[in-house]
Amino acid sequence: MSFIECREVCKNFGQKVALDHVSLEMPQGRIFGLLGPNGAGKTTLIRIINRITIPTSGEVFFNGNPICQRDVEKIGYMPEERGLYRKMKVGDQALYLARLKGMEARTAQRELIAWFNRFGIRDWWDKKVEELSKGMAQKVQFITTVVHKPGLLILDEPFSGFDPVNAEIIRKEILRLKEEGATIILSTHNMESVEELCDEIALINNSRLVICGGVADIRKRYGNNNVELVYTDADGRHTEVLPAMTDGRSTLQHYLEKPGVQINSFKELMPRMNDIFIKLVTGEDKI
Amino acid sequence: MNLRTIGIIISREYQNRVRKKSFLVTTFLVPVLMAALILVPMLLMLNSKEKTKTIAVLDNSGIVAGKLLDTETINYEPAPAIPLDSIKHNLENLGFDAVLNISELTADNTVTADITSVKPLGVEMAQNINSRIEDAVEDYRVESYRIEGLSQIMKDVKVDIRLNAFTIDESGKENISETGVYAVLSMLMGIIIFMFITLFGGMVMSAVIEEKTSRVVEVLVSSVKATELMFGKILGIALVALTQFFLWILLTGAIVGVAGSAMGSDLFNPDTAARMAQTMGTEAALEGGAQAQDSAQIGGDELSTVMVTLRNMDLGGILLDFIIFFVLGYLLYASLFAAVGSAVENEGDSNQLQLPLTIPLMIGYFIAIYAFKAPDSSLAFWGSIIPFTSPIVMLARVPFGVPGWELALSIGLLALTFVLCAWMSAKIYKVGILMFGKKSGFKDLWKWLRQS
Repeated sequence: MSFIECREVCKNFGQKVALDHVSLEMPQGRIFGLLGPNGAGKTTLIRIINRITIPTSGEVFFNGNPICQRDVEKIGYMPEERGLYRKMKVGDQALYLARLKGMEARTAQRELIAWFNRFGIRDWWDKKVEELSKGMAQKVQFITTVVHKPGLLILDEPFSGFDPVNAEIIRKEILRLKEEGATIILSTHNMESVEELCDEIALINNSRLVICGGVADIRKRYGNNNVELVYTDADGRHTEVLPAMTDGRSTLQHYLEKPGVQINSFKELMPRMNDIFIKLVTGEDKI
Repeated sequence: MNLRTIGIIISREYQNRVRKKSFLVTTFLVPVLMAALILVPMLLMLNSKEKTKTIAVLDNSGIVAGKLLDTETINYEPAPAIPLDSIKHNLENLGFDAVLNISELTADNTVTADITSVKPLGVEMAQNINSRIEDAVEDYRVESYRIEGLSQIMKDVKVDIRLNAFTIDESGKENISETGVYAVLSMLMGIIIFMFITLFGGMVMSAVIEEKTSRVVEVLVSSVKATELMFGKILGIALVALTQFFLWILLTGAIVGVAGSAMGSDLFNPDTAARMAQTMGTEAALEGGAQAQDSAQIGGDELSTVMVTLRNMDLGGILLDFIIFFVLGYLLYASLFAAVGSAVENEGDSNQLQLPLTIPLMIGYFIAIYAFKAPDSSLAFWGSIIPFTSPIVMLARVPFGVPGWELALSIGLLALTFVLCAWMSAKIYKVGILMFGKKSGFKDLWKWLRQS
């Protein structure tokens, strides 16, 4: 069963149409990539799922039932434009946000300290946010997003502002939360992380849903499924692109039998998400 | 509305502000200032005896010198028999502070007088000398009619009447009243509530802007409803205001009490009051030219009238009215200020949008500070009924007593307007806090209001 279902969701701001009959299903325990160029309507859709904005028409179902205000306690949201109270102490602030998500003060304190320890930032507890660097504040923000163990995690550009080391920590945490059963919506322009993390994606352009489905399926659908063979012989390294219909066994056999040839790789050529994205958004035919 | 989350928001707003240094400083400094405002004039009155001055008198008329009786602060001495100019130039060497030169009697039985001193004379002293000279000339003129026993008649005729004002309450009990007390209280209430609404309404606006610029607001509204956030903030800051208000009253009272007893004498016991009254009385006497002694008595009456008036006033009721009108007035303006704050990203941009709020506040303020002159005039009446000025103007009228139905009407209209404005503000706020990047004007507010 899908954890989140959007059914014919529309949103108008005055004359402007921000979302035009968007229907989506997001299965439980998967990472769902929400893609689209700036201004396509991603943030509006996220805000509707969050109940920050009420749709003009259409419905959102949370775990099978129409979403209600109580459900937001089971959602963790990290907006793209994030922020914390600058003058407030890190610990107090994290506690405050956790309690607004329905946690008891004592439980929240315990869980937060565990998270702070895990991230190695226990000594930041009494610092003010304005004393933290941007990356440090991002870590705190991530903790406040996940501390209440939300069933649905909405992360808008979660890696921006992180150095590669910390980005890796966050990436691992996202995968760990997925293992624990959380459904995750990942909105990003970083197509590498989409390929790496997402199980399914939806692409929104000009307020409309353009495509939706499993990442592997989409890549297959938009690729010509050619096969690439890389081998090295006496002349050096060669790359050969073979048609999709190639019989792998006999081809490999052929090369393996050549003397002095070493096979480096043999793989199906998948289009990169980046290319699919550009193609779908700009309407070009070629990948 | 989720009461639990509103509670959490209120407590954060409250605790964060109450723990701030600026809150502690204003909470403790203002009572010290207020107490100083009360105590310093009292101390001054008690200790305002000027240093005794010696004045050389050169009386060419022969009628004034005899009437110049020494007072506590002035010693009159005949001038030495040397030319006036050399006295003027050697005042300090001769041991005089000033020399008073009175001309000969003119044809129409008057004199001119001039006084020369190194340091300027105090106003009080100059008035004193002036009135004595006038008395002397008047006495001389009276006597010049040569009517038998006239001076006695004049003395008998002289009268000093004081209007004793009373108010009568519903039970028919008459209370002595001092209009001045009502006037001062009326202005004070008007000023304080204007200050409070502006200060704490502005605080709500800054808080909204702060959340918007720091972008924490989007995280917040993903946990709580925007309206909950808005009202939590407004109520939290209301509690801060009330806390500050009560601490001010308490601390001012405590400081005045403690300082009063520390000064060795209770400022409020009748002896001190009488002494203060005497000082005040002297001033009054000098102005009116009446006998100082009589007026001191009147001054004493006046002070006790103030005390009695204050005692007879329903101070508890006034305090209750203050709290009701402050809370409602604050709620009305704070919700509007929140809407304005939601539309801008920094305080500088808020000026234009604030205008529709500051104008009625200022109008209310000006009506209020003049309300004591005619508390039942139609301007004051309508000012205290129309919701946007009513909290300020009504409080300025309250010390004079306002009929129950007017209070009820004013409170009812104010509450109704608050509900309406809060509903509109919430709609604007909901949209406004998530609008970034462009400067919003009235048109945008109107659009948001209709769209949500």
